[in-house]
Amino acid sequence: MMSNDTMNRELLSAYLDDELSQSEKSEVEKLIQTSLELRKQLEDLRKIKQLTQQVKRIPESPFFETRLMAAIEGEKVETKRVSRWLPVTALAIVTIAVMVMLKFNPDFVDQLWDQQKEAIAGFYKENLQPVLYAANLTNDDIFNFAFNNELPLDNSRKQYLLLGYDDSGKEFFEIRTGDEKVKRKSYNEFISAMNLNEQQKESVDSIIGSYGEALESQVLVNDKNTVAINPNLWNYRKAIFADLLVAAEKLNIKGFNRIVPAGITDNEKLRVVNAMQSLKTSPEGQYIFVTPDSVFAESYQFNFEQYEKELKELEKNAKKYEEKIKQFAVNIRFDSTFRHFAVNEKLPRNFKITIDSNICRVDIPQNNIAEMRIPDIDSIGPLIENATNNIHFYAYKIPKVERSKSGIKIEYYDNDSVHSYEVKLNTLNMDSLAEANPGFDLYRLDELKKVEPFDDSMLAKYQFDKDYYNRYFSEDDLKEQMEELKRELEQLSKEQQNWKIRVHKEVTKSPRK
Amino acid sequence: MVSNDKEKDLQQPQVLSIDDDYAIIRQFIDGDSSAFQILVKRHKEKVRNIVYVTMNNSALVDDIAQEVFITVYKNLKYFRFESQFTTWLYRITVNRCKDYLRKMNVRKIFSPLEEGTEVTEYTTPAENNDVSRIVMDAISKLPAKLRMPLVLKDIEGFSYQEISETLKCEMGTVKSRIFRGRERLKEILQPLERELL
Repeated sequence: MMSNDTMNRELLSAYLDDELSQSEKSEVEKLIQTSLELRKQLEDLRKIKQLTQQVKRIPESPFFETRLMAAIEGEKVETKRVSRWLPVTALAIVTIAVMVMLKFNPDFVDQLWDQQKEAIAGFYKENLQPVLYAANLTNDDIFNFAFNNELPLDNSRKQYLLLGYDDSGKEFFEIRTGDEKVKRKSYNEFISAMNLNEQQKESVDSIIGSYGEALESQVLVNDKNTVAINPNLWNYRKAIFADLLVAAEKLNIKGFNRIVPAGITDNEKLRVVNAMQSLKTSPEGQYIFVTPDSVFAESYQFNFEQYEKELKELEKNAKKYEEKIKQFAVNIRFDSTFRHFAVNEKLPRNFKITIDSNICRVDIPQNNIAEMRIPDIDSIGPLIENATNNIHFYAYKIPKVERSKSGIKIEYYDNDSVHSYEVKLNTLNMDSLAEANPGFDLYRLDELKKVEPFDDSMLAKYQFDKDYYNRYFSEDDLKEQMEELKRELEQLSKEQQNWKIRVHKEVTKSPRK
Repeated sequence: MVSNDKEKDLQQPQVLSIDDDYAIIRQFIDGDSSAFQILVKRHKEKVRNIVYVTMNNSALVDDIAQEVFITVYKNLKYFRFESQFTTWLYRITVNRCKDYLRKMNVRKIFSPLEEGTEVTEYTTPAENNDVSRIVMDAISKLPAKLRMPLVLKDIEGFSYQEISETLKCEMGTVKSRIFRGRERLKEILQPLERELL
């Protein structure tokens, strides 16, 4: 609890800064007049303030701008690759904007793409919107897509698109609904298993991010319950995976070898590079349309660039629609929309449709995705399963914390060797910790190893379990400090890699060469 | 040195500069990348100085300031015009400094047994009687949470409101931390009281 004296002195400090209300100011002035002690304290504070104001400013740097602009130029390629990944707040606006267009502005879409209203197909092609754009795909989502074949179809993550192959190797997709939380290999696990530092992670981020835009226009929906899926999604999925692995090998060969012991041959790498180029440059002409009337495959051009431009305009006004939009969501209601497929004899038989209580599955005959323009990268397939199993295994490294003569010794497994660190008590700068709790005993850190790691967080590798110190300490400051120490430990682990691996800069500039 | 009067002088045209920043940011968003250079020119010295005083290491200033502006460059097109540009800019600056301070701290605390001398010292001992240098060294001994508000207030002339927005904390916290910062600074400078105070 703050004493009166401290409160008065705080007020004095704010008085000095002219930051008090008129009434507070008068009160403080009254107090100062009656107290010699307060006058002395005010004088002391004033001296300190004057001293700090004497700190000299750093001289101007004439070359700063030149260097900065050169650095930005150097990063531009990267910027383009990651720039699709908007901050969360901006994304929320984008999502709303997409919804607005879908709900309130269906006409404008007609201006965007070619008039393709031949027969019934035209009807269902109207006002198609890139649903994945609205789903706010994160790098985690794209990573999960590469490793688990799943893409969220909406912002609330209640509907998923699942890609698969049946026993005879033919593609199918499923639209699933439900809150079912499947344990997935997370992106963080991958980064952790690969032992990537912050810069290397950024490099991987940019690779994943570079697929964001392409993926967004692969699944389109409209207000007529049409879902249009580009068969190239199957290829994207493999391409992202292969691209990630090829980049990962360059970034950290040891981490990579653990995850993919079989390695990737040069021939496969070449195929991956070719596949990616081909995927990214080929027009996305073919979509499979799932509509309430029929399922058909037709060519279709989605002009993403123009769409985005219009969207940007709309974003500015999106806020005013916010309230209305809260009630609205893209929802593929296959139970009512597609149910009749199962019994309707007139439907084309080249697509096999299976409807379950929360799954709609469409099996795609081989000839419907014959137009895939990318080279065969199927040989990468077996790597996927192998790698996904290995990632989890190597994702966590639990350090051993021991008391040593001069302090605390921390050992942990990394890059197939054991690293030791010593917390030297005589150099330990724990002033702030001690201030927060004078009774804090550093040796209690030793007990942290008893805490069970949580399964799905890389933070667990240091075993600083929040519950642990919640149980032992109540002061917020101390908890804050412990969190900081935890972050420092993480940072240390990342930096430690910097000392050994210096290839990331080259890779960042040209990740796939 | 920034006097109180000068601070107030500087605050006045800030209203104009907000609008100016907005217009420039809009130009940038509309594709005029040269607009970014105007923003840099306008704000770089303040950013550099915040970094300088916070880190107490002139060698790091331009690297950190550069990272700050690169972050701004990458994210500027998502700027939402809901706060002053400078609030956002200084928040990035302060956060980047905190990241570096954390890095420095961990290197001070942990020294790898095998790697030899990778530890980088970042504090510069007072080598002469230069008041500015002595005070900067003293400031660098403050914990980051007391150091940041003090630097923004006494050296950069921010108001409590601006500090609260930049550091994303309550005004009451700002007030209390500035006070505690000053108290702590006084203790640190106590041995030199005769010369300084």
